[in-house]
Amino acid sequence: MSDEARDIVGDYRFGFHDEDKSTIRFDNGLSEQIVRDISTLKNEPEWMTDIRVKAYHHFIERDMPNWGNPEILNNIDFEAITYFLRSTDSTEDDWKDVPEDIQNTFDKVGLREAENTWLGGITAQYDSEAVYHSIREDLESQGVIFLDMDTGLREHPELVKKYFGKVVPHSDNKFAALNTAVWSGGSFLYIPKGVHVEMPVQAYFRINAENMGQFERTLILADEGSSVHYIEGCTAPSYSSTALHSAVVELIAMDGAKIRYSTIQNWSDNVLNLVTKRAHAMKNATVEWIDSNIGSGLTMKYPAILLKGEGSHAEVVSVAYAGQNQHQDTGAKVHHLAANTTSNIVSKSISKDGGRSTYRGLLQVTPKANNCRSKVVCDALMLDQDSRSDTYPTMEIGNSTADLEHEASVSKVSGDQLFYLMSRGFNEQEAMGLIVNGFFEPFTRELPSDYAVEMNKLLNIKMEGSIG
Amino acid sequence: MPMPPRAKHLWRYTPWPRIQPQDGVPVADKIVFTVNGNNNLETGAPRVVLESDIARVFLSEIGGSSHTLNIEGDVGLVHIQARASGHVAAGHLHINCKGNSTVILHLTGEADWSGLYISGAVADNCKLAYGFINELSNNCKLLHCEDWSVARDSTMEIAALSVGGFRCKSDVRTTLTETGASLKQAVTVHGLGARHIDNHIEINHKVANCNSKLVINSACAGSSRSIATGLLKVAKGANGTDAGQVFRNLLLSDKARADSIPELEVLADEVKAAHGAASAPVNPEQIHYLMSRGLSPQQAEAMIVEGFLIDAFSCLTDTDLKDVLATRMTIHLECELKR
Repeated sequence: MSDEARDIVGDYRFGFHDEDKSTIRFDNGLSEQIVRDISTLKNEPEWMTDIRVKAYHHFIERDMPNWGNPEILNNIDFEAITYFLRSTDSTEDDWKDVPEDIQNTFDKVGLREAENTWLGGITAQYDSEAVYHSIREDLESQGVIFLDMDTGLREHPELVKKYFGKVVPHSDNKFAALNTAVWSGGSFLYIPKGVHVEMPVQAYFRINAENMGQFERTLILADEGSSVHYIEGCTAPSYSSTALHSAVVELIAMDGAKIRYSTIQNWSDNVLNLVTKRAHAMKNATVEWIDSNIGSGLTMKYPAILLKGEGSHAEVVSVAYAGQNQHQDTGAKVHHLAANTTSNIVSKSISKDGGRSTYRGLLQVTPKANNCRSKVVCDALMLDQDSRSDTYPTMEIGNSTADLEHEASVSKVSGDQLFYLMSRGFNEQEAMGLIVNGFFEPFTRELPSDYAVEMNKLLNIKMEGSIG
Repeated sequence: MPMPPRAKHLWRYTPWPRIQPQDGVPVADKIVFTVNGNNNLETGAPRVVLESDIARVFLSEIGGSSHTLNIEGDVGLVHIQARASGHVAAGHLHINCKGNSTVILHLTGEADWSGLYISGAVADNCKLAYGFINELSNNCKLLHCEDWSVARDSTMEIAALSVGGFRCKSDVRTTLTETGASLKQAVTVHGLGARHIDNHIEINHKVANCNSKLVINSACAGSSRSIATGLLKVAKGANGTDAGQVFRNLLLSDKARADSIPELEVLADEVKAAHGAASAPVNPEQIHYLMSRGLSPQQAEAMIVEGFLIDAFSCLTDTDLKDVLATRMTIHLECELKR
């Protein structure tokens, strides 16, 4: 890596990029014609084109959010973004058929190794579309459908039509409208009744081109009594210009189903990560968002769960790291809409080198939701005096039987803890690393072990230089 | 002045049109302040209007009465009666504390709409314990703002008892301006009928080595609604800050609502800043225990509510302040029980 490249990339080890060998690349900028062209190119049914166009107009008319980080949001140049880029002509099911440089990229991020050892299925998306997709035969034979979203729409249009936009309608917010207008790629996952997918399935999203906008759309349906663990990872090259990642993720857990959705977000600092994630949990269903935000310049993401069925449960464990020039505006929303529902939210954040971390959450109990229980815990660590930590929790309680707790704290790493570890032979850097890994432990213990190890390594890299 | 957007949490739950007396600025009667003992109120009061806040600008424009209470040396307990009568009544009281005192402001009356602005400053090495009791009639609207500054090595205790009025919006902001300043603040809300009580408490730690504690206890019955928004700001360089906020809600009926939004904005690293919020129904075991001692279900619940609300004052140290507010709370609950 050249010195110049090192200046841009810094310690971000996924900041490399391949030469742009796209087969189709739209001109930068957004218009109704661009939206229609994307739909035409994908040979989509008319109803999808109509939704896209409707969403485009909503995006144009909708005001920018005046919270989060308005300074950055108001300076997004939507005309400088590429809204569609096709890297390969088809989605392959054998790595040999994927162009070599793209293969190498997914090797470097560790995806192929993970696929061979413990994943049930995988979708690798490179810029706008999936370039590789696989699923284990035993899952396929049980009726599990795991496809990239474009293929999902082609092969299961009725299922997609029934659920697309039902959890996150295009009118939900400005970036949900943008995603609905120009979405491309993402995952479509259907788990039939009673099927338990023992091995996690994964999607990996890689942005390669400069000024790229990635707008994947994910829809996961877990039918009655089924369960699945879905993991997503994401990285991008470091460029001096801004890239935009604006995904929409919709989950539906039917009666008694369980969905765990884990994210390891490690975008480079030039990526704006403005994502809408929401789930519906029906009777006795469980939805878990296990969410980490380590990268990106600005992340605004608040995974939400609507507990619609009696006895349903929501679990959100999120961690955020805000370093130099980073603002992690993250949180969680849980809506208790039915009786005997429970939820648990744990949020941990670290701010360092002038970074800003924000927890923004909502806990709502509606009048019909009797006997709900919920606990929210937010902890923030500040590692220097240039950083900032904000906590904006909201609790709206409309039922007298609700039992809710919320607690939050902001503090720095205790000198006593550092001293204790150093008295046991660790140097200051190692001691700090141990404390930070321990601080994030409620998150890492929810990950498969390989990912947890990788996550700890990532954090240690981030923490380098935090002493003195 | 433009209408504040509902996206801002300060105006999300009680939008400005619901709390203003009418469109435009009406002519206001004066809230009559009466002070006990040898203490005198001076006419006129200094005021710095926060131009960005519609409530403060409105209270400045509407006029009404305007007085200053000067405290020098050890003054003891000062009781101020504030009476709001007529259609629209407004008043401004400024408290200038250069000594030690306990001041109780008791707001009563039957004005359709009352606008009350309280400002004050606690000078270096002084102590002020201030209690605000809202016992307006049940059909009154109240818009109430307070701005306090606390100087070097000074202590301020604020207690509020909100048991009157139909729709009330309070916005109390305290700035700890110099090192060693300390604030303890307790707010209790008892919601009955269709009362709507919106409390916004803002505490600004501007400099290093200050501490603050805030406790808000709300008990809501009938179809009442309590909203408590707290904002704790720790400025850059305000190291050594020790700040805590606790919000508790007790919901006593199916239709009661309570919303808590305790917010933190921390720009310094050597701080202890924490908040907690909890909401729960009355514990049936406690009711059962009290009933086994001969109380009726209503008496048992009233006793639990009383204990819950008065517990908020346990964070205070000024005994006069605690005693007066706890007594008013007990009287209020006794009256409600006998209704």
